[in-house]
Amino acid sequence: MVLFPKVGRKQLKVRLAWWLMVGLLCFGVLTHLFPFYIMIVTSITPAAETLSTTPTLWTFHPTLAAWKLIFQWTANTGQGALIAGSAAEPFWVYFWNSFFMTSVTLIVSIPIVSMAAYATSKLLRGPLARWTFMYFIATLMVPFAVTLLPSLLLVNFFPFALPYGSIPNLPGTYQPFPTASFVDTLWAIIIPGIFNAYNYLIFKGYFDTIPNSILQAARVDGGSEFNIFRRIVFPMSIPVYAVIAWIQFSAVWDSFLWPQLVIQSNSKAPTSLAIYTLMNDFVNSGIMDRATALSHDAAMQAALASGLSWNGLMVLGLLQTLPIFIVFILCREYLLRGVRIQGLK
Amino acid sequence: MARQATDAVVEDEAASKPELSMQRLRRRNRIEIWLFLIPAALFQLIWGWYPVVMAFGISFTDAQPILPSTFTGLASYIRVWKDPLVAQAFRVTFIYATLSIGLTFVLPIIIAIFLTELPPRLMRWLMILWFLPISAIANTIIWRYLYNSQYGLLQYITTELLHIPYQAFLNDPNLVLFWLVFPSIVVIGPGVAGLAYMAALQGVPRSYYEAAEIEGAGFWRKIWTISLPRLRPIIVVLLIYGIIQGLQEYAWPQIMTGGEPEGASRTIVMYLYDYIENQRYSDATALAIYLFITIFIIIVALRIFVKEDPDA
Repeated sequence: MVLFPKVGRKQLKVRLAWWLMVGLLCFGVLTHLFPFYIMIVTSITPAAETLSTTPTLWTFHPTLAAWKLIFQWTANTGQGALIAGSAAEPFWVYFWNSFFMTSVTLIVSIPIVSMAAYATSKLLRGPLARWTFMYFIATLMVPFAVTLLPSLLLVNFFPFALPYGSIPNLPGTYQPFPTASFVDTLWAIIIPGIFNAYNYLIFKGYFDTIPNSILQAARVDGGSEFNIFRRIVFPMSIPVYAVIAWIQFSAVWDSFLWPQLVIQSNSKAPTSLAIYTLMNDFVNSGIMDRATALSHDAAMQAALASGLSWNGLMVLGLLQTLPIFIVFILCREYLLRGVRIQGLK
Repeated sequence: MARQATDAVVEDEAASKPELSMQRLRRRNRIEIWLFLIPAALFQLIWGWYPVVMAFGISFTDAQPILPSTFTGLASYIRVWKDPLVAQAFRVTFIYATLSIGLTFVLPIIIAIFLTELPPRLMRWLMILWFLPISAIANTIIWRYLYNSQYGLLQYITTELLHIPYQAFLNDPNLVLFWLVFPSIVVIGPGVAGLAYMAALQGVPRSYYEAAEIEGAGFWRKIWTISLPRLRPIIVVLLIYGIIQGLQEYAWPQIMTGGEPEGASRTIVMYLYDYIENQRYSDATALAIYLFITIFIIIVALRIFVKEDPDA
């Protein structure tokens, strides 16, 4: 309420301005929620209506056929999105892959990054602290496009980020060095994503604001640095952990470029790749022209025959959004709880 | 005298005892500190520094996939420079990033300022609704449906309601970039940036605004002289971050159009992906380094022209 004048608050002009602002905000909320609305309404629209040339914002024949189709589809093997060259999988496999890669990344990454940020911020001193900080964040200057190809080669020929022909030979023989390859596994997505310099920066920025006196008091009482971190600093920092968990969950759950590079078979594909392939196949199969659809694969035939249309895709979109939504609600709870605790200081 | 000497000796012993245990404590702590740091340092070394260094290395060779590579100097750089599709990709990316940032950067700031104005209960409810997340992938499904040239909602609006001739939307080579940015304009949302703005605004003392009001400042003047300068460092950081991300846009154009029509929406990273698929590794790293140089120049120019905040 600070921007509105205190003195003339009951005057007509000021009250109109106030309600205008509230009105604009509420109208903006409507536009923000518009995609949700479209998703939900389209998912219960019958298939023929989704393809009609006069689209409506509401349907008079709501049906749950699309939901049933997707869930039946997820239970049958042999039907599902195809990444060219490998057998299709039921859809719950893709969701499980997404869930696995996201949760493992979060569980491994957040402790490692936050402890490193805490150490740089509070445990190290002087030039060593500055150099360590630089070591961790200097790669932020380099755009991720530069590391795309070498990381891909590293995943293929660990520990060499070189094309196959350049791998050096074992000394004295003509055999190349043995390499480990974890391409086409979910670990290829998880492992490079463990250290995230942006999260490190945010953690360090927050830990810098914790006054040193608290830590010195704790040190006088004894106990290892890890216990100090666990018992004192971590409960104070729950809002930051909640925000980072929320940001990283959304980013990894929807990640597209890196999985597209390293995943080559359907059994390891996350939902972002599966939805992309399905949508492309669906749009390219020319819904208006069934004849050209004959040239497409059996799974798409079966899907179209059983009535897959945009309503089914919207159901998938809702399923894709649901975990992000749940994590949002959870993290908001922790964020507010943490802020409330700090307010009591 | 002797008494003073013994007092001094006793004091010395008392002083050195904590010294010894402090040393032992420091040594134990040092191992612990390194334990805090080593996992992160290891991952940063293997997946952060090593690929960056190797990118430079690979770009100076001819990166044969099967046969050993040979050092070729700047040949890859020259080949990428001469590729007309690279010039097109740079043009597309610049236009896309300019449209995207120019049209969607300002509104979240205004929304954050307005949201902090509200009383707490209304603000909490509106915040939940404003920050409600939608998956980026689900967003692509929705907008591909709406943009369909035959049965999409936008086609209906233009032909039936506005009586403009048939629009090709995403198939139109001249306007496809605008249509790609359009959803982020229409679907207003503060996003994570909005959270940062609101957090900063809540740290401004009320007395600043009250003092300004006594001086006779109106609504917009208060925003201009108090809220915006307070947000200035965050705005600069988010602008830089937005430029870096915007110039490397991949998922949204790829899923929406796949680079159609004929490369009119193919960004640099999309072309980089094509290079990698065709195993032109040295060209891929050379293109990535060109991108790096471009971003570097832009950020340095921004830093020079945007003066440092005198009050910070």
